[in-house]
Amino acid sequence: MMNKLLFGRFIPGESFVHHLDPRNKLLMSFYYIGIIFLANNWSTYLCLFLFTLLAVYLSSIKMGFFIRGVRPLIWLILFTVLLQVFFTRGGKVFWSWGPIVLSQYGLVNGAYIFMRFVLIIFMSTLLTLTTPPLSLADAIEAILKPLRVVRFPVYEVALMLSIALRFVPTLMDETEKIMNAQRARGVDFGEGNLFQQMRAVVPLLIPLFVSSFNRAEDLAIAMEARGYQGGEGRSKYRILTWHYRDTFVVLAFIALTGILIWLRA
Amino acid sequence: MLRKNKAYHLSILAMFIAVIIIQNFVPLFGYIPFGLLDLTTIHVTVVIAAIILGPKNGALIGGVWGLITFVRAFAAPTSPLAPLVFTNPVVSILPRILIGVVAGWTFIWLNKKIKQTPAMMLAAIAGTLVNTLLVLTLIYVFYRTPAVAQAYGTADVSRLGGLLLAVVGANGIPEAILAAVVAPLICTPLRRFQQRR
Repeated sequence: MMNKLLFGRFIPGESFVHHLDPRNKLLMSFYYIGIIFLANNWSTYLCLFLFTLLAVYLSSIKMGFFIRGVRPLIWLILFTVLLQVFFTRGGKVFWSWGPIVLSQYGLVNGAYIFMRFVLIIFMSTLLTLTTPPLSLADAIEAILKPLRVVRFPVYEVALMLSIALRFVPTLMDETEKIMNAQRARGVDFGEGNLFQQMRAVVPLLIPLFVSSFNRAEDLAIAMEARGYQGGEGRSKYRILTWHYRDTFVVLAFIALTGILIWLRA
Repeated sequence: MLRKNKAYHLSILAMFIAVIIIQNFVPLFGYIPFGLLDLTTIHVTVVIAAIILGPKNGALIGGVWGLITFVRAFAAPTSPLAPLVFTNPVVSILPRILIGVVAGWTFIWLNKKIKQTPAMMLAAIAGTLVNTLLVLTLIYVFYRTPAVAQAYGTADVSRLGGLLLAVVGANGIPEAILAAVVAPLICTPLRRFQQRR
């Protein structure tokens, strides 16, 4: 049941993308989502598509993983695309029925939105597949560091994130255990009407909260016993390094932006 | 029992964040499929955090949920509505932060006047309603402008408005039902921890 989960599914590897600085990868993924909105015609989308394929190729991860990332969302994407297709007016009208119109612009827009979805999903899947969650937490800490000027508790947030990510699999196992235990006692998950389905979540939430409170208490005692006194003045074990290849990737993204602006109609 | 030191504070918040993350990614736990839309149970966690740990921490947990919603709207949307509206950080993050703030303060304010259980129920309802109403209002404010309509590829603003209103109506009704149903359910786990203190 939880095998569909793509979050935190890190695939170890030795490829070009794996060795990139996580800060760089995170920033570039967000930047990519930003520049995808620059694309507004076929040549720009083709350019983005080729760029994404190149990134996927450089990660030497099988294409199947990316397709699997898109598959659970395909109905959602199609629904959004259909909404766009049938409610956009303009250009040549092929067919209409009341407010529903099948027009040239609608079809083109639908295709663009489909492409946009697939490209964004590919890129974010690439990020999570090639970066271990703890590196991502480190990257977020490094990116948030400038916010210390406005007294934002960067170290605390980073530590919270690391702990949370560390305990996601543990709590997930526990959730599954509790679910099975409650099933054995006769709770039906995902069955019955809406009200019954929501009620079924309660015997799951209560033990989960109780156990996470206990866990937090144990963890706090263990942290204090090891001399944790707060975020300031600590040294780091995992240190991120910026290589030439990271600079190269940034340049590639700048070049892509330039090409997109040039190709934009 | 609950000690107020930094390490405990951090780890309890981290656990709440972990629960939010799990609810986001375990099917049938955080989002219950309901026709085209998904009902969420995640705001229950935010309300619990707000009532037990106070408005400030509730806001933080709600903010984490908002951030996840925001990122997911691009990468792995939860409902057909998500890629349309939650790609705007104001719509996705702000209402979720306010769940924590409103639920926390309502509870603090009511707890002095009435019994604990009804105070929790009202705080939960207030928190959830603020989320729903704010999402609806913000959609109404942001998604009638031509600029945004253009970004989503629709030239005709009035069409987009009508389309969104339909989706919003379908979103508002289940969330209102949820607010009424979830409030009493929240009290059970809460009371246990309140009594432990």
